[in-house]
Parts: sequence; structure tokens; C-alpha cells
Amino acid sequence: MRRHELVVAVVVVLILSGCSTGQRVDLGDAASGTLVAAIAGEPDQLDPQKTSAHFSFEILENVFDTLVEPDENLEMRPALAKSWDISDDQLTWTFHLRTGVTFQDGSPFSANDVVYSYRRIIDQQLAPAYRFNAVTDISAPDPATVVIRVKQPTPNLLVDIGGFKGMAIVQRKNVESGAIATHPIGTGPFAFKSATSGDSISLVANKNYWGPAPVVSGVTFRFIPEASTALSALQAGEIDWTDSVPTQRVDELRGDDSITLGVTPSNDYWYQALNEARKPWNDVRVRQAVAYGIDRQAIVQATSYGTAVANQLAIPKGNPWYVDYQRYSRNLETAKTLLGQAGVKDLTMDLLATSDYPETVTAAQIVTDNLAPLGITAKIRTVDFATWLDEQNNGHFDMLMMGWLGNIDPNDFYYAQHHTGGKSNAQKFSNPQVDALLDAGRIETNREKRLDDYTKAATIIADQVSYLYLYNPSVIQAWNKRLSGYDVRRDGAVRFGTAKLN
Amino acid sequence: MTVDTYDRRASWRLALRNPLTLISAVILAVIVLAALTADRIAPYGVNKIDVPNALQPPSGAHLFGTDELGRDIFSRVLVGAHASLEVAAASVTFAFFVGVTLGVVAGYRGGWLDMVLMRVIDVMFAFPVLLLALAIVAVLSPGSTTTILAIGIVYTPIFARVARASTLSVRIEPFVAVSRTLGTGNVLILRRHILPNIASPVIVQTSLSLAFAILSEAALSFLGLGLQPPEPSWGRMLFDAQGFVHLAWWMSVFPGLAIFVTALAFNLLGDGVRDVLDPKQRTLLDARRKR
Amino acid sequence: MRVFRFLARRLLYSLVVLLGVLVVVFALVHLVPGDPVRIALGTRYSPEAYQALRSASGLDRPIVEQFVGYVGSALSGNLGVSFRNGEPVTVTLLDRLPATLSLAAAAIVIGLLISVPAGTWAALHQGRASDAIVRVATQFGVSIPDFWMGILLIELFATTLRWLPTSGYAPLISDPTGWLRHVILPGSTVGLVAAAIMTRYIRSAVLDVASMGYVRTARSKGLPPRVVTIRHILRNALIPVLTITGIQLATILGGVIVVEVVFAWPGLGRLVYTAVAARDYSLIQGAVLLIAALFLLINLIVDVLYSVADPRIRLS
Repeated sequence: MRRHELVVAVVVVLILSGCSTGQRVDLGDAASGTLVAAIAGEPDQLDPQKTSAHFSFEILENVFDTLVEPDENLEMRPALAKSWDISDDQLTWTFHLRTGVTFQDGSPFSANDVVYSYRRIIDQQLAPAYRFNAVTDISAPDPATVVIRVKQPTPNLLVDIGGFKGMAIVQRKNVESGAIATHPIGTGPFAFKSATSGDSISLVANKNYWGPAPVVSGVTFRFIPEASTALSALQAGEIDWTDSVPTQRVDELRGDDSITLGVTPSNDYWYQALNEARKPWNDVRVRQAVAYGIDRQAIVQATSYGTAVANQLAIPKGNPWYVDYQRYSRNLETAKTLLGQAGVKDLTMDLLATSDYPETVTAAQIVTDNLAPLGITAKIRTVDFATWLDEQNNGHFDMLMMGWLGNIDPNDFYYAQHHTGGKSNAQKFSNPQVDALLDAGRIETNREKRLDDYTKAATIIADQVSYLYLYNPSVIQAWNKRLSGYDVRRDGAVRFGTAKLN
Repeated sequence: MTVDTYDRRASWRLALRNPLTLISAVILAVIVLAALTADRIAPYGVNKIDVPNALQPPSGAHLFGTDELGRDIFSRVLVGAHASLEVAAASVTFAFFVGVTLGVVAGYRGGWLDMVLMRVIDVMFAFPVLLLALAIVAVLSPGSTTTILAIGIVYTPIFARVARASTLSVRIEPFVAVSRTLGTGNVLILRRHILPNIASPVIVQTSLSLAFAILSEAALSFLGLGLQPPEPSWGRMLFDAQGFVHLAWWMSVFPGLAIFVTALAFNLLGDGVRDVLDPKQRTLLDARRKR
Repeated sequence: MRVFRFLARRLLYSLVVLLGVLVVVFALVHLVPGDPVRIALGTRYSPEAYQALRSASGLDRPIVEQFVGYVGSALSGNLGVSFRNGEPVTVTLLDRLPATLSLAAAAIVIGLLISVPAGTWAALHQGRASDAIVRVATQFGVSIPDFWMGILLIELFATTLRWLPTSGYAPLISDPTGWLRHVILPGSTVGLVAAAIMTRYIRSAVLDVASMGYVRTARSKGLPPRVVTIRHILRNALIPVLTITGIQLATILGGVIVVEVVFAWPGLGRLVYTAVAARDYSLIQGAVLLIAALFLLINLIVDVLYSVADPRIRLS
């Protein structure tokens, strides 16, 4: 072909392809009717009981089930268990399982799988193990029944075993072969199909799902780290759903007719924490100085552009366990006085942020600016999330910022993070009064007394600056008009089982 | 081709007659001056956070507008000039001294030393620039020192090749042979004959390498692996601007423009000088240099 | 058979350089301050996983033995396993290679489409205003940061005009139209810069050829200028054009990193970037080795082509 003929051909193709804007791009999935979802990062692994990454759970939410699960109002409803009884002394819970349920590889599901899954968490002391603290025995008297015995009345047991997918029921073979980390097998509406490192993970509909079979033929989760890229892809029809919506664009997006924006207050919360295993942060006066030094409003505005609600405790407004607490505001005089009392000056601070959560980098810069007049020089260290987790768990930081995903029961908001030796107590906070209150609140069945316990505990936690609570963000997701049968949930769980593509 | 002192001065004057070269020299002078005085002339602190004034378009109060934290972009671009130029200058200086030394030694001594040194240089040439710099930064962790080292190492081979080529062309000249027979010390020969001769092509290369060092540092900082926040850097500013391109075009335009203009000025200057010295230099070697 | 002797010498030389490359790449992992396996495992550390990864990477053997082992395995295709997810490095690399190759090919095509006409035109109008314009334009192209241009192109053509997708990828073989739509912006970003470099080169190549004797003869024969141009000049400048194409292709291989990141193009460049962010040293090692080897290979082919065309070089 001569050169100019080639040019003409290319131009024609360009024009033709340019005319098809707004068209879906098939990523090579043979089946049409695949939902394409964009998330901001790649899962570190796919074992629901071991991973703690938000990205992993977004995908695993659709692959696994728990015995019970929260509905749209975050009330617990049957899932793998179709009903349950509690003994009169409140110490024995009997769960009656659905029959005829199979794992995605066809093997049958039974009570033994439940026992295996829970025992695995307890015996290996995996991350969700603390949720079984009150449990003394788990057994399967027959293939359709699971009996859980607790040592004291446990009002929030249902939330403990079903509130999030860390308590997913896994398959013994899948775990023992080690395949679960990369090829998980569960009982949920979608089965794992394939993964392309750095690009996407594909799920395919589970025709034998115990609930209503999914309408879409599969879901592909694409990893698009840049939020603005994901959003542009959504507007162009490249993808159907994304949750990486830059907060600064929410206002603009509300007016965009081509997409549906889902915004709902969530139970998530963002906080900052000071490492009490290191001097001088072990001195409460120094911590309080920091609490009086930072400009919360600026942080909230710069990270959420008005979509979040500032909060100095964890539990959000609208949640029945909410407590109003307003002690701290930016006051440099008070801060300096406290530092003087503690006898410290000219401090340096190792401020840990992660590039996978840009709000931490933004806030870190504001904090650096805020603390400078107090003689505290903060040095920001930005690492990827996996490294961040490592540094946090090894106590290699002075201050960090992170968020916890939505919880339902007040115990989940405070216990693991603030009880002495709690699994998520990386800041090494230890206060016997708080311990006593948290322990009491756990087993208290009287609602008023319980609220009182948690109010007192939360107040001490904030007074002692175990966490510097910042705000409750909203769950913000966006999807295109083709997608129906889906809505945002307060706990941020992403469930495509009922989604439909028109 | 030998260019002695008198010709060189005339060459510079000739070079500056070219309007493009003159303009780029002036622009560079302005940029360098701005970089050196940045701390004093910047209207706002580089990390002066002012969230209520975030994302303001360019105005009288903020020449280049403000970013997502309310910081003045003009001040950040000025101080960023200091940071970027410092990295570029330091890394090119490293590459210059190490590369020219290697090249002159290899070209002058010849023999097996030349062969070994040139093979080492060839190995370094086998890696694309950004890739090797990335790998070095990966191993040593990001930061300004690592960035300078990485870019310096990666640009050493080109200086070595240029210096060696010029050294070789002079070494075979008769007057050098005569000097050696007369027993003149090597150092003297180097000083009087070799170095003046390699000066021009090496100077040209310096200007070109400065242009690419600016671009390389910007790329590394853009990827988050160069200068770390809160140190302002043009590349990093572009990275931060990505989430706001639609909302605040000034966040991406001005830092990018700064990188572009600086690199362009260095390139035009280098090209202008080279045109004067040897208009016929359009060889394979030249094409390979432009990385 | 001088040609074969030359080729053999060139090949041997390339192998020596390749060995040097292997040494550098091997050294990368060992220059890491700290324990690379421990760093990479992070929160997923367990004594079993640590041991497994260490022996899979051969890090528990003495250095010289490691190097020999490394070279041996590398040449047979085994580049170890990723520190992040345990997958074989070679598989991951081959998975991502087609994306980078197709991007590079698109960029070269765009580059040629611009540089061949522009360079030729500038050469034929040497010294005039149009020549100066082209020369300044090429300087612009070489000085512009490619990621900046990428961001601006996305904003203009994708976000504002909605003509093209902002990012992403469709494989060429299974979805050519999708591939084309996705490759235009990143391909142009890389291609425009490549065009700038290639235009200067082609311009000087055409100048060299145009001043040669037989062109003057053709012109004096009274042939229309267009015929002279196309038939004689281009045909003889073809080899240098191929040469610069090859050089640029090699350069692009290393230069696509930033563009792939901006456009979320799942190629080798983006892989290197995520591997560096995740401290996945074995993956970094493998990717650098592959890209450097490709770089060497293409340069070798270019040198051979060049020498085939120009006997003077061969005999030196």
C-alpha cells in the first residue's frame, strides 16, 4: 500500500471509531452483560479471613457469604442460616442452615464448613478472631445445624458473625491447598473467574446461588488508581460503576444527567493516632496539645469538600449510639501551655501517610502546617498501603491517619482499637477504666446502661487522645444510567447480586 | 577539528546572533535568577496552607492561582525552580566530571583500558534512561539525594562518549605526537591540547543534558519517586494537579509550562551553540544522544 | 563472507554487553539496604512464606553461585517469582508485553506519519521560513514533558470533547476497534515526541541524499521535482529512516513508563512503576532485564541494517 493510501485508510478508521463515543468497550469477556466496576486499587490477596484491605472486600463481598448479613437498614437478616434460636439463659445460639447450598465449585455446603471456618479464625488468631472472644464452643450436631455457646450474654453476636465478610464461610479444600489467596471459592452470587495482575479481576455469575440468581452474567473489577480517570471512564460509558469519586467533583456530578450519584452518610470514620509506645507521645498532655493544635475544619474541607461530617468521636450522627462531644478546637495557646507542662519543646514527628489514600497525604500536609507554630516539625513519609500496614503494625511511626469501615454495634467502634492489647490497637493505648467500661458494655443487655458505658468510654478515649477523631465520610459511588437494581449502602458494602444492566 | 581560544570566543558571539539562542539564553538567565532569589521574591510561603482559599483561579492576589490546599502556585513554581534546577545541576555536574574523566582517560590511554571502560559505558547505554533511574530509586528509596545520584549515573555515559570521541580526534593530530616525542608530560598535553578541544562539544552536551535532567527529575517526581512532599517540585505539582484538571486548569498548566520552558531554553541554547561549532553534526551518534 | 564475520563480531559484542546488563540487574536486588524478601512480604510475613520466597529467589545461596544460577535460569526463561503475589515473573512480563509493544508500534506509526513528510518538506525548503518553523517545532516536541502533554490531551479530547476514552486498554487481536480508540491518545503522546526527534533526523538524512550526485543528475534531466523527490530521495533515505525508527522504538520501550501510568495502559512500563511502589524486587529485576534485552536486540538489528546499507561502516 502506498504511503498516502495508508494515511487515508487510517484517517477513515479514526473517523469511524470517533463516531462511536459512549459505547461500551468489551474487555475481552466473551459474554455480554458483564458489569464493569472500577475500584481504586488492587487487592493484596483474596482470603477474606486474612486480608484487611478495602479493595479485597469490595470484590469478596460478592463471592462469599456469612451466616447472617445486614440488610439496607443494617439490621441482621438470614443468609446461610435461615433462622436461629437463643436459649433462655442467652448462652446458647442455635443456627438452622439452608439446605441444598453448594460452593461455587459444586461441592456441598454444610455445618462442618461453618465450624471449620470459625475454628480457623480462632485457632490461627486471624484478624477477626476477637469477634469470638465470648464464644466457648462451636459445634455441628448435624449437617444443617450450628450451635454456638457463649460464656456470657452477647447481644451483638449476630453483628459479630455477619457484619462484614472477614467472617466469611470458606471451603476447607480451598484453604488447605493455599489456593484461596488467589482463587477463592465461596457460596456467594458470583464466582471468581480470573485475575490479570495490575489490571482487573473477573467474576462470573453463580447459576447455583441459593438466593435469586444474578441477572448480569459477571462482574469485572478494574483497578484504576486515579479517581479522575475512573470518573471520566464512567462518563464515557467505559465502565458501569465506580466508588473512586473525587469529593471535589461531587457538586459538579450532581448535575450530570448521564450518571447516577449515590451519596449516603456512612458509619465509616477517619482518625489520626499518635504512637504511645514512643516518647513524648506517651504523655497525654503532648497528645492533647496536638489535638488543640490541628485545624479540623481545614482537614475536613480539604479532604471531603463538604461531603463529610466533622465528628470528634467515632459513632456518626443518626446512629442510635451517637454521643455529642465537642471538646477540642484549634487553640494554640492551650496547646503551648500543655507542651510547657509536659516539659517538651522542639519536637520532630514521623508522619506516616499512604499514597493509596490521598486524603492522608492531604491531611498530613495540613497537620505539618498546623503544628509548626508549636515547635513540632513533622516529616511526612508516604508509602504504599501494604508498607503502611507493615509500619503501623510494627509501631514505626509517630502519627498516622486512617479510616475504619462502617460498623454497626458500638463495641465494634471501640473495642479492638482501644482496649489494652486490642487487635487493632496499634497506637498502644492502655487505660484500665476504658477497659472495664468496654468489657462491661459488651455483655450488657440493658440498652440504657449500655449507652452509658459506651458514652463514658468514648469520652475518656477522646479526652486521652487515643484517637484524634476527624470526621465521618459519606459513601460516594457513581454508576451509569444502564445500571439498575443497585443502591449505596451505609456500610459501603458493594453488592451486585441484584444489579441489572439495561 | 580543533578550536582554539580565539575561535571559541568568536563562536559564542556568533551563536548569540541567532535570535533563538539569544532568547533562550535570556530566558535561562531569568529562570536561574528567579530560582536563586526564590525564597526572597516568593509572595507567599511555599507551604502556607489556606484551605478556605483553595482552588482559586489566577488573580491579582495569586498570579498563578491556588491549589487544593490554598497554597499560592506562583510561589511554589518559583521555589520549585530552585529545587529542580538544583537537582539538574547537581546530577549533570556528577555526570560531567565522572563521564568526562572516563572518556578522556579511555580516549587518551587507548588500549585495553579503553576497551574495558567503553564496554562498561555500553552496558550503561543498554538501559533506557528513566528505567535505570527508576530502578536505582527503587533500591535506594526516593528522595533528593537518590534522585541526583540516579540521574547523574544515567547521564554519565553520554559525557564519556562525547569526551572520548573528541579526545580521540585530537590525539591523532601531529602536534600531539610531536609533543610526546619531545617528552612533554601527559598532564601538560592534556591541559594544552586535549581539554580545550573537547570543551566545545562537552559544553553543548552539558546544555542538552541539563534540559533532559529537568525532564527526568520532573518525571521521577511525577511518579512519586523523586523529590518528596512537602518539598515543592514541578513534577510533583503536576501529579497533585491530576485530580483537579477539570476544576482548576491552572494547577496543571503553570508547573508544566515551567518544565517545558526551562527544558526548551536549555535545548535551544545547546543547539544554537552546536550549530555554530559544527553544523554538519547530524550523525547516528547525535540521534542516539537525544534521549 | 565479510558480512558474516561482521555480524558474528557484532553479535559477540552484544552478548558481552548483555552479560554486563545481567550483572547490573542482578546487583539491583542485592544493593537494597535491608532484607528485600522481608520488606516485600510485609504484613503477610510468616516464617514459611519467608523461607519459600527466599529459596525460590535463590537468596539463601552464596553470591557467585546465585549469579550463575540467575544467569542460567534467566536464559532458560525462569526469572523467579514475584515477591508480592508469588506468580512467576516471566508469566507476568509476557502478559504485559503485548500492550507495550502495541503502544510502541502505534507511536512509531504516528511518529512516521508526521516526521517523514515534515522532515522531507523541511529539507527541501532548507534555509527558508518553513524549515525554521519545523526545526523550532521539533525543539518544542523534544522539550515537552510527555506526562504533561498526556494530561492535557486527556482533558481536551476525552473529558471535555468526549471524543475518546480517557484511559484503559483493549487487546489489539480480540478488539481492534476498541484498541484503536484507546491507543490514540497515549500513542499520540509518545508519538509526537518521537516525531520531533525523527523529523530532525530525517531532515538531515534527506539533505544528505538530496545533495548527492545522482539527484542533481535527475533534476538536470528535466524530471518533474515531485518524481525526483519520491523516486530518488525517499528510496535512498529509506535506510536511515529505518534506522531512526529502530532507535526510536528502542527508546520508546524505556520511555513509555510515564505515559502508561497516566493512561492506565497495562503494559511493562506501568508494571515497573507498580513493582517499584510495592518494592517487588524480583519483578523489577525481571522487567528491567527484559526491557534492556529488547533495547539491545533492537539496537543490534539497527546496527546490522545500517551496516548493510553503508559498506564503509562494515569494514571499520
